[in-house]
Amino acid sequence: MLIRPEGDDFRIIGIQLGRIALVTALAGTIPLVWAIVGREWVPATAFLLMVGVLALLGAASRFIEVQHHQLEWSHGMVVVALTWLLVPAVGAIPLALSGHYGSVFDAYFDAMSGLSTTGLVLIQDLDHLAPSLNFWRHLLHFLGGQGIIIAALTLFTGSGGTTLYYGEAREERILPNVRSTARFIWKVAAYHFVIGVMALASVAFFLLGFGAWRSLFHAVTIFFAAFDTGGFSPMSTSIGYYHSAVFEAMAAVLMVAGAMSFGLHFALWRGPRRSAFKNLETRTILGTVAFTMFLTMLGLAAGGIYSNAAGIGRQGFFQLVSAHTGTGFATIAPGELALWGGLAFGGMTMAMALGGMASSTAGGVKSLRIGLTIRNLVNQIRQGLLPERAIQSTTYFQNGVRRFTPELGQAVMTVSLLFVALFLLGTGVALGYGYDLQEALFESVSAGASVGLSVGVTEPTMPFMLKLTYVVQMWLGRLEFIAVFSLVGFLVAWVRGR
Amino acid sequence: MKRLLLAVVAVLLGLAVPAVAQSATPAEDLITSGAGFDGNVVTVSGELVGDFGVRSDGTVWGQLNDDSYADRPLRESGAHDQGNTGIGVRFGSELGFELDEPGGYRLRGPIVTATGIWHYHDPDRGGESYLEVTGFEVVEPARALEDPAFWPLWIVGMGLLLAAYYLYWRKNQQRVPGS
Repeated sequence: MLIRPEGDDFRIIGIQLGRIALVTALAGTIPLVWAIVGREWVPATAFLLMVGVLALLGAASRFIEVQHHQLEWSHGMVVVALTWLLVPAVGAIPLALSGHYGSVFDAYFDAMSGLSTTGLVLIQDLDHLAPSLNFWRHLLHFLGGQGIIIAALTLFTGSGGTTLYYGEAREERILPNVRSTARFIWKVAAYHFVIGVMALASVAFFLLGFGAWRSLFHAVTIFFAAFDTGGFSPMSTSIGYYHSAVFEAMAAVLMVAGAMSFGLHFALWRGPRRSAFKNLETRTILGTVAFTMFLTMLGLAAGGIYSNAAGIGRQGFFQLVSAHTGTGFATIAPGELALWGGLAFGGMTMAMALGGMASSTAGGVKSLRIGLTIRNLVNQIRQGLLPERAIQSTTYFQNGVRRFTPELGQAVMTVSLLFVALFLLGTGVALGYGYDLQEALFESVSAGASVGLSVGVTEPTMPFMLKLTYVVQMWLGRLEFIAVFSLVGFLVAWVRGR
Repeated sequence: MKRLLLAVVAVLLGLAVPAVAQSATPAEDLITSGAGFDGNVVTVSGELVGDFGVRSDGTVWGQLNDDSYADRPLRESGAHDQGNTGIGVRFGSELGFELDEPGGYRLRGPIVTATGIWHYHDPDRGGESYLEVTGFEVVEPARALEDPAFWPLWIVGMGLLLAAYYLYWRKNQQRVPGS
């Protein structure tokens, strides 16, 4: 029997959403100040409006009174799912008012793409966009990648943090409580920010010959997009704009750092470092990167797209790292990427679908699940070869020895299959609109796995239903289903419950 | 030696320009079927945008956009079209002296006709594709883009912020005992 949610359930959710609105308003003041200082009046007006809406929502939520303050699991899940729908809606205000979008929904698409760290874009005439707006697009990556929920947990104390934390598709708690884990995540980001921005800005200034201010601007935006595996870029030609192998290498290092789980960051930070490389997840991702890299390089060599090893190596390596980490940076145009057929296409699509590590900013099925699925398969084969009454006990190493239970195997398989279904959904819709299978599959995997690489399907003139499908894919893929399903369940209970 | 060679090529191309300048190659063609133009002298018209990256070897890198926004950016009520279509251009720093700043938020960059050699997946540059420019013809200089403030929206935004502040103040007053 479904139990209809009571008034207090809605009020608890409202309070949490209000807190998140305040955090987002606080983040929105940065581009607002930027726009005012830079005398970019059109964006400044739009940012003021956005911050005003968010601050008002946050302030109004403080008047909500509840009898029971306990934030339950279902509340947390609903809050997370709604956060990832509503923040892009308000965050799209400055984008929509910029005049760089064909419709309000296109602006929402880009805001969702930013927050979910996907990187697919519908923006038009990006190369004339105001720097403050460009910064906001990239800040959305940072908010989404580090987690707005994490920010709220860091700023506000209160019960129920655990459910919010897990709702945002984070599976491991590094430190004993969620708040200290959230602080550790921010600390990692802050260190990377300082080092990453300094390194990128130095290369831009000394090597690429940009002006000082522009070097810093490019460094900050590219850092956000790389470390949060987002994929937006300040210029329309993505990383190809910089024409520099050194710059690409730095971006690749940041992409890899972003795709690493915060557990691995913790191990590298505080040791023991060796155990980090014993982890099933680390070994799996090293294996899948090597395999997909081999496929892609082989495909490029066989296709004769590049005439020498340097071309295959540089272009193949960068695009593949971008795909596997779920970033979406490119050094080649979508129209050119569409020409990567055969094995290169297979390698890239597979890399996008597999994704990065669990509890990272990357999307996709994720390497821990891949590792456990392979382990499950091996177990099944072994069991088949053993005598009928033999029982095998299986363990795996992931921050310590853990037991592989049938329930774990089932959970892993379920989420993996849901990802496959998600990829097929987008592919089916695109096929229905007449796109060919290769481009439909590539773009769908890119949207569902929060990657952002494009072969040219994602453009302002694509059908509305396809845009909507990609938005849903980005939302579901980023939250890894559970929070969204909880929201659906909550709504059904509200309508049909007793 | 390299500079001398470039100068000779520039002179030869200068002679060839009148013949080819009339048929500019769309940047889109260079992107989607660039192999067919590899090593050929091509002419591309468009707006220089972004940054001029002045390298230590005396070359400058830039981006040449050949799209509808080059004629009229969206900020000048240009028509909504696709995303930008641009190619990388490399030229000797001596060619850049006559160029205005590249386009961006405050500027519609200079519209130029660039003639040079198209390098498709250049093996010497790790597979990059770009136009090695040997001559620019400035068709239209850069022009400033206006940024008018829209005061009614400012007032709405300020009103929302004030309302939010009032609610905070009111809630805090409620919390103070005896108030």
